[in-house]
Amino acid sequence: MPDRTAAHTASDRARTARSMLAGAKDVSPIILGIVPFGLVAGAAVVEAGFGLVEAIGMSLLVNAGASQIAATALFAEGAPLWVAIGTALVINVRMLIYAASFAPVVVPHTSRRGRVFLGHPLVDQSYAVTMTRGRFRDDVDVVPYYVGSWLILASLWQVSNVVGALAGPFVPPEWSLDFTIPLVFLAMLVPVLKRRTDIEVALVTGFAAALLVPALPMQTGLLAAIAAGLGWGALRHSDERNRTGARTGASR
Amino acid sequence: MSAAAAFWTLIVLLAAGTFLMRSIPLWLHGRSLMPRWIDRFLRYVPAAALTALIVPGALYVRSNGDYEFAPERIVAAGVALLIALRTRSVVATMLGGMAVLWVGQILL
Repeated sequence: MPDRTAAHTASDRARTARSMLAGAKDVSPIILGIVPFGLVAGAAVVEAGFGLVEAIGMSLLVNAGASQIAATALFAEGAPLWVAIGTALVINVRMLIYAASFAPVVVPHTSRRGRVFLGHPLVDQSYAVTMTRGRFRDDVDVVPYYVGSWLILASLWQVSNVVGALAGPFVPPEWSLDFTIPLVFLAMLVPVLKRRTDIEVALVTGFAAALLVPALPMQTGLLAAIAAGLGWGALRHSDERNRTGARTGASR
Repeated sequence: MSAAAAFWTLIVLLAAGTFLMRSIPLWLHGRSLMPRWIDRFLRYVPAAALTALIVPGALYVRSNGDYEFAPERIVAAGVALLIALRTRSVVATMLGGMAVLWVGQILL
């Protein structure tokens, strides 16, 4: 019987490798999009007065681009640590939503020990490709597929961070490279604006940010503006629910 | 605290918080999760957070801690928004926005 066990393990390993490759392949059409973010993130760390070690360490540990850029920019502007961390964490709150819908897909295929680090590879792209493709494929195991998609993403992310950190200092200040940060976020925002309420929330937040950011101390204006937008969203959301509720009630 | 120590503190705390938000729903899978009202706030977080990060940098430049209106930035951000709406391309949005900003800086 030892032969069979060995053969079984070998074919298991081959399947795991195949699944990881499949994940990497499926995610590859959308990974080039992270290069500009990586360049901006790497350059921002150097702009804030730090080096390659910080750029690489931050990417490996935090592993969430938008929040890295925001935290670094706020830090460089002299915001207190709690403001920089708090604002960046708000950006990552979407991970909670991702993870909640991701749990039924991956948790049943993971050992109790494997579950400890199962969350770390969860980023926008690995989530998207696993939820829309990987979990429906019979020829792959979903967990290695998900990890494989993240490994290629994270590698490209690291490389673009390093390039950004190395090249950033050579860019003359007259080029106003800091403006790439709002531009990067703008490119991220547009696909998010799907429903009417999303657009309203963006408008409320935008007006609040324009007024509050210069007015409030220590860069707390950002958090205040986000709170205003979320408050508007919650109001509108319950509005819609009441209306649909009333309609269903009437039709019965 | 030195600047480097402060920045590493930021990295570690941000990493820990992000790790927990990614992981807790996976660890708790099967047990009752977030109450409904949290969801009501969370669904608009991306729209609100990203907008808040865009607007100050698109309207103002800071000199010595003061915020000053920057017309060339406002125009460049407006053009970039149109490009993003039409193309959905990150690269086109960034190149277009930067090009308009540079032209504006030369003209103004």
